[in-house]
Amino acid sequence: MTPQLGGVLGFRDLLPLEAEILREAQESLLAEMRRWGYRHVITPLVESMDVLDAGLGVEQRRRLFKFTDGRGDVVALVGERTVPVARLVAGKLRAVELPLRLCYAGPVLSTDEGRFHQRRETYQVGAELVGASGPVADAEVIALAARCMESTGIRRYQIDVGHAEFFHGIMDAVRLPDQVKAAVRAALVARDFVTLESLLEDTPLKSAEHELLLRFPALRGGPEILDAAGGLVRNRRSEAALSELARVRELLVAHGIGDVVHLDLGAIRDFEYYTGVIFEGYGPDFGRPVAQGGRYDGLLERFGRPAPATGFMIQLDLVSEMLTRASRPPELPRLDAALAWTASGLDTALRLGSTLRLFGMRAVVDTRVRSQAEAHAWWRAVGAANLVHCLGTTTVSWSVKGQRTRRLPPEQVAARIAGGGE
Amino acid sequence: MIGSEQVSLAIPTGALLSGSLSLLAHSRLARLNAKELGRQLLVQHGGLRVILVRPSDVPAYVDHGAADLGIVGKDILWETPGSHYELIDLRFGGCRLVLAVPEASPLNGPDTWPPMLRVATKYPRTAASWFEARGQAVEVVRLHGSVELAPQVGLVDGIVDLTATGQTLRANRLRVAAVLGSSTARLIANQASLKTRTAAVQSVVSRLREASGNAS
Repeated sequence: MTPQLGGVLGFRDLLPLEAEILREAQESLLAEMRRWGYRHVITPLVESMDVLDAGLGVEQRRRLFKFTDGRGDVVALVGERTVPVARLVAGKLRAVELPLRLCYAGPVLSTDEGRFHQRRETYQVGAELVGASGPVADAEVIALAARCMESTGIRRYQIDVGHAEFFHGIMDAVRLPDQVKAAVRAALVARDFVTLESLLEDTPLKSAEHELLLRFPALRGGPEILDAAGGLVRNRRSEAALSELARVRELLVAHGIGDVVHLDLGAIRDFEYYTGVIFEGYGPDFGRPVAQGGRYDGLLERFGRPAPATGFMIQLDLVSEMLTRASRPPELPRLDAALAWTASGLDTALRLGSTLRLFGMRAVVDTRVRSQAEAHAWWRAVGAANLVHCLGTTTVSWSVKGQRTRRLPPEQVAARIAGGGE
Repeated sequence: MIGSEQVSLAIPTGALLSGSLSLLAHSRLARLNAKELGRQLLVQHGGLRVILVRPSDVPAYVDHGAADLGIVGKDILWETPGSHYELIDLRFGGCRLVLAVPEASPLNGPDTWPPMLRVATKYPRTAASWFEARGQAVEVVRLHGSVELAPQVGLVDGIVDLTATGQTLRANRLRVAAVLGSSTARLIANQASLKTRTAAVQSVVSRLREASGNAS
């Protein structure tokens, strides 16, 4: 029986063009993070269930690939990488003074086929700023996320900034029985505004907060939305959130990204996890957020080192999908030289290959003797810019597309190819 | 705004098609002919692009961003929850999801159900979770068509299916033993479209809201 060559359902192979785009995007992201003083850490693909139990919500835990290791401990493949970073900060890095700026890149896995749009393995690049609270830290992470999106070559994007406390304040203020409140929260998290509306319609006491909840998806715009919302809320938590958002926005203008920032008071996120400013990054005409992040001041405490923290992650495979779909998709870098040889030309071909690579050229040396006609056929198959057919120690035959083939000494050909001439 | 100003709307073939088209006409967004749309599947009308897809595919088009908005029965949303926003109850295409049993069956309310109830349905997810929430063990047989036949040939105790008028049930000598939920057409929206092209998308949403008789 032929093995299943398509791979496992929900897992993807990345072919050369895709793989190259993804890797380049990852390097651009990590390089941008390093420029902001974030240090790269690599955490394992496997974490113990103890750690993940402490760090993740029930739903996230349910979706993990779990198994037992040789000692009988339950371990899982990571479904996100913030919790492993938190484990590091509270553990091996506990002697290091805060704030700490760390970044990471790697695959994450999920058993749920519906999630990640049928993909069970995706790639995330993220940054965490641990040990700093307040708008300056929030703005730094948002600005970093924006510059990261730019660094990959995404030309048009927007960042929506919201605040988890605005939502919590509203939920505190609405006068509803606990049971109804729970249903309202559930409907909102499910983005089900039909149910939300019918729940709120049935309640006698209407407050300004009712109105805000019903208009949740439309509570977005520029700085004017803060004044509009400020005129409606009558609770301290939401008011404090609004003034914090106003400050973060000022700082983002100073960071130079004021024009891509939108305020979104109706952002619906994991409100159990996020404790403050939250944000999402969107690319053009793309149905899902590419970057997601925010403040999570409660996580580190669960690992015994209480500390405020904020961070974000970028879905690397969405970035590369967006780049591939762009009007001018990136091209796979071409081979500069294909080096073919006759029986007496192998040494020359190997030497020439080394020389060209020293100059940063991409050169491939053939694996068997070829005649001139065979060499040309092979050249077309590998798609290199130059063909050098090495005929001996002193002479090579050099071909460039659209030009006459010439016989020259190998050093001269190397100099011309590396020098970019002809 | 970083996206185009064009808005795309996915509407379903089948029972909700005529209601969707009359809503579009009533909102003065587009006056479309079902036959013409059936031939072309994709019609451009000013700033609005209308896409005709199978009912169960509407959430996929919207969740992936191929359509900004979609009109879809709540029954489909029960089966395929996703990342979209469910914005408006459009108040047409009303029907109920019911447990129906043969007229002669002893089954009625929950007290009469056997320890293991066997039902056939096109809505396996909704059926399973409804019975499980009530502590009833259930064996769900997933069928793709002519569900009404299954209890008559002894495959299952009953069926979980949609009914608008009850006519099909009566024709197959079935009666309603329990109502699992009621469904109408809903307007759903892609999460990113609402954020990146707020003005264009919201303007279509509010015209549909108005035309459907919902106060804004």
